[in-house]
This record gives sequence, C-alpha cells and structure tokens, in this order.
Amino acid sequence: MNLDWLDAFLIYGFFTIVVVSGLGLLLHLQLGLARIANFGVVGFFGIGMYSFGVLYVKVDWPFGDPWQFLVCIAAGTLAAGLSGVVVGWLVGDLNEDGVLVGTLGFATAVFILATTEKELTGGAQGMGGLQFPYDVGGVKANELLWLVITAAVVGGIVFYVWRVHRSPYGRLLVAVGSNEPLARSLGKPTFRTKLWLFAVTSAGMGLLGAMYGVMERFLRPTNLGVDITLAAMVALVLGGSARVWGAVVGVVLTVGFFDIIVQNYLPVPVEWYSQALPVMREALFGAALILVLMFRPFGILGDMRRDKLMRSLHGD
Amino acid sequence: MTDPTATLTRPVIVVQNAVKSFSGRVVVDIAELTLGDVPIEGLIGPNGAGKTTLMRMVMHSTGLDRGTITLWPHGAVAGGGVVLSNLPSHRMAGHGVVKSNQVIMDFDKLTIWDSLLLAAAASKSERPHRIFDEPRVFAEASDEVARYLDEFGIREPSTYAKSAGEKKLLDILRCLLLKPKFLLLDEPTAGLPEELTAKVIDEVRTVASQGTAVVIVEHNLDVIWNLCDEVHFMAEGKVIMKGTPAEIRAHRTVVEKYLGEGHV
Repeated sequence: MNLDWLDAFLIYGFFTIVVVSGLGLLLHLQLGLARIANFGVVGFFGIGMYSFGVLYVKVDWPFGDPWQFLVCIAAGTLAAGLSGVVVGWLVGDLNEDGVLVGTLGFATAVFILATTEKELTGGAQGMGGLQFPYDVGGVKANELLWLVITAAVVGGIVFYVWRVHRSPYGRLLVAVGSNEPLARSLGKPTFRTKLWLFAVTSAGMGLLGAMYGVMERFLRPTNLGVDITLAAMVALVLGGSARVWGAVVGVVLTVGFFDIIVQNYLPVPVEWYSQALPVMREALFGAALILVLMFRPFGILGDMRRDKLMRSLHGD
Repeated sequence: MTDPTATLTRPVIVVQNAVKSFSGRVVVDIAELTLGDVPIEGLIGPNGAGKTTLMRMVMHSTGLDRGTITLWPHGAVAGGGVVLSNLPSHRMAGHGVVKSNQVIMDFDKLTIWDSLLLAAAASKSERPHRIFDEPRVFAEASDEVARYLDEFGIREPSTYAKSAGEKKLLDILRCLLLKPKFLLLDEPTAGLPEELTAKVIDEVRTVASQGTAVVIVEHNLDVIWNLCDEVHFMAEGKVIMKGTPAEIRAHRTVVEKYLGEGHV
C-alpha cells in the first residue's frame, strides 16, 4: 500500500487524540458521574503499558504472536484493573482531597517503579522489543492499522459510556456522586460500586496504556508523565465532564489543535520541537482550563441533562 | 388508628444499652426499648431529646458508643435476629429497615423518575456490565411509580424536584418503593402542604395494615395522636414514658413541661 501521502506525524497525532479521548471517556465515568477526581490516570495507564511490555518482552512464552500478544495485553489490562481495585479500596471512603492526593501518589509510585526496577523495565534507558502483532507491509501501514484498531477500541468505550448513561448502573453512579449517604440509605453498596467503577475504568486505562506502548515500541518512564493525566482531565472539563461526548470534543479542541494543527501545519521553528512546544502545550492546556472554568464551568457541552434523557427513554 | 390486634407477624427492633454521645454530651442513653410491638408507634419529645439520633443509630448511619440494636424479622420470640448495629448502613434496606430523612435529602442530578427508579431497582441490575437493563427495571417498577406520581399529584416527573416539599415527598416515596418491613419516618409531614400530609398519613396506614412496622417522629402532635397505636415520650436521651396516645396525653404536666402548653 502506498502511503507516501500520509505524514507519519499525522498518524501519531490522531493516535494521541484517540488514546486521550479513551482516557477522558473513562475518567468521565469517574469524575462526571460518580464525582471521583482521579488524578492518577497515567498510573493505571502505566501499569497496563509496563505489565504488557514486561510480559511480552521478558517472558519466554511457549506460543508466538498473535497469542503471545493477546495474552500479554489481556494480562496488562487485568493488572491495571486489579491496581484499580487496590487504589479504589484505599481512596474509596476519602474526601476529594484524599482522592486527589492518593491517586496522584499512586501515579508517582508507578513512575518511580518504572524508573528504578531496571531489571524488569530497563529503567530510565527504556525497554525495546515491542512490536505490532502483524505486518501488513511497512512501518507506516502497520501504524495506520494500529490507529484504526485503537480507534475501534475507543469506539467501544464510547458505546459503553453511552449505554451506561442509559442504564440503571449509570443512574447509580450519578446517585453516588450526588449524595452518597442517601444512596446508602436506599440499600446501595456505594463503596463496592466505587470499587467496581475503579476496577473497570482502570482496566480500560491499562488497555489503552498497553496499546500506546505498542505504538511507541519503546517504553520509557517519560511516557508516564503527568501530562497524560492533565490532557485527559483538561479535555474532559473543557468539553463537559458530565456529558458522554465531552471528553471527545475536549480532546479534539486541545490535543487535536495542538498535536495536529500547531505541530503539523504551523511554521514552527524546528528547534522548538524538543523543548519549547511541550511546555507551550501544557501552558495552553492550563490556560484553556482556567478560561473554561471561569466562563463555562460545566464545559462546552454544558451540564448533564437527565431530564432530556429520561424523556427520550421513557417519554413524558 | 390501625388494629393493634391484627395477626400479621411484624418485625421488632430491640434497642439494648444503646449510648451515643457527641463531644462528651450524652444524647441517647437507652437501657431497653422495643419498637414494633404495635403497627404504628410515635416517638415524641422536645428538641434535643435524641429522637433523630436514635433513628440514625437504628440505621447505623450514626454509630453507637456501646450497646446493640437487633432486628427480629418475625417478632421478638421467633429467632433469627439480625444485629443491625454490626451492619453497614447500606445493608439495612436489604433487611427491610428503611428510614426517611428529617432534613431534606435529594440527588441534585437525578430527575424525579430517576430518583424513584433508583429506589425500585434491584442491585443485580446496577452492575457495571448490565448496560441494557433499563427497559426491564422500568417495566418492573413503572406501574407502581406511576401510581405514586398520580396519587401525590406530581405532574412533571421527568424534571428535577424543585420545592422543599416535593423533595421531602420524594424521600418518603423512595422509602415506600423499597417495600419496607420496618419503616422509620423522621418528621415526614414537615414542609408538606396539608393535602399531601393527609395522603402520606393514608399511605402510612396502608403499609402498616399490610404488616409493616412503622415508627414515626413528628412534631405535629395531631398526626401522632391520630395515627399512632402507641407513643414513646423521649427526653434527655431516654424514653421516659410509653403508652397509648390517650395515656400520654393524660400526663398533661409532663407533656406540657417538655413541649409547651397547648400540645395535649
């Protein structure tokens, strides 16, 4: 397949949009519905990425790809889900500040482990040996196919989130976020609900981390910077944290604008790419967050509208 | 009043040596109290007597300093007691013990329909993978919810509860949808207009006649005198008097001392 027309940076830009959208959608279930401000998104992302990477590269499997790949990616997803249960158990009954510090601390711990456990992760030098579970002819074609597969996974996450809004489970999450003692008095096991929420969403974040690792092919602790959490958080709040499409709209406007428009189409001096652009990116995301909180606190799409949703589901 | 001699088996809640203090001040100190002997019991007393705290202790939304609270689902002598004071608060509804709230409690992001369906939904429908269960939950609960909406004149159930009265009513309706076996009502008529108060009282009578034990805390003593089969008078954390409404009212001096003149 001739893909000369396609810029490799463009594939990477769209891939980032897709992955951060997926993270933002999962964060939406936590923050938008259950009002749990998880600042450790990249921790779960990193657990998935490194669990997959270490298992794939370091373990001598009796079978090859695609089974080796699939088993390892499933294990990475599971490991992230289990870490979600542990973190959820630790922070589930804490207030907002406790959740913030606990999740941020977890992400920091994952970053430090990725750096210090050199035998497993290669430390700061990183770990190579990851590859796509297929070869359709050329790096660019493989990357494009991986982008499509990842987009399909994120499409699945969109569908799940969309359905959650229309299910008794979504109603329970909103209730837990709105008034937890009242939900408990109605017999709802709110702690267990949050634990399951952490398990499922963290597993999803881990799967996205593993998929991100495959695209990178070389895992470094610098992949686990706080910028990923911030991108997902800023995009979600910008788009509308309580709306299904909030994360996607927010990511397109932030990551899309910067990683595609600015980096590919604006005449930016070449020397800016390594140092100045990442800093400018964080500064612009931060400014966008401040502006949206000042002028449109519920985000571009606005607040949740259960009244409209209930009318559409069950009539007047 | 309901017929206290009705043969339905009602659950009983036994409070033993239950003490609760806040910042060193003893708010509840009850040696022995049995709730549920009659269909509808009233709990009255001055502000600060410990009525609401006692209700919250039964629900274990307020922990006990010491003592036990036990539910006997089939009456006091029937065995199979459940120590409520050892259970987390979310397990109470599963045992049929349900309480409405004194202060207004609502889910600000949920519509009226949402709020009532939440109460009616079984927990197996609320698991993360049950993303297609809404039609089933709606089909199972909608008739009963619609009956309440109609009976209590809620005209726009797809919107959010706005007034304090509407939120208070919603709180009671959620409790009824949980199919309580033991219903605790903490000032259910406070903030409700008169015609709704009458409807709530009718509904309480109905559930009591169907075998639910009801305990009601209420400052509107007309409600207590008309509705209850038995009344507990609380003061300073203790139940100081127990009897039929007529017997309590006969202790004019005690009641007036605590509640002020004109209440008997």
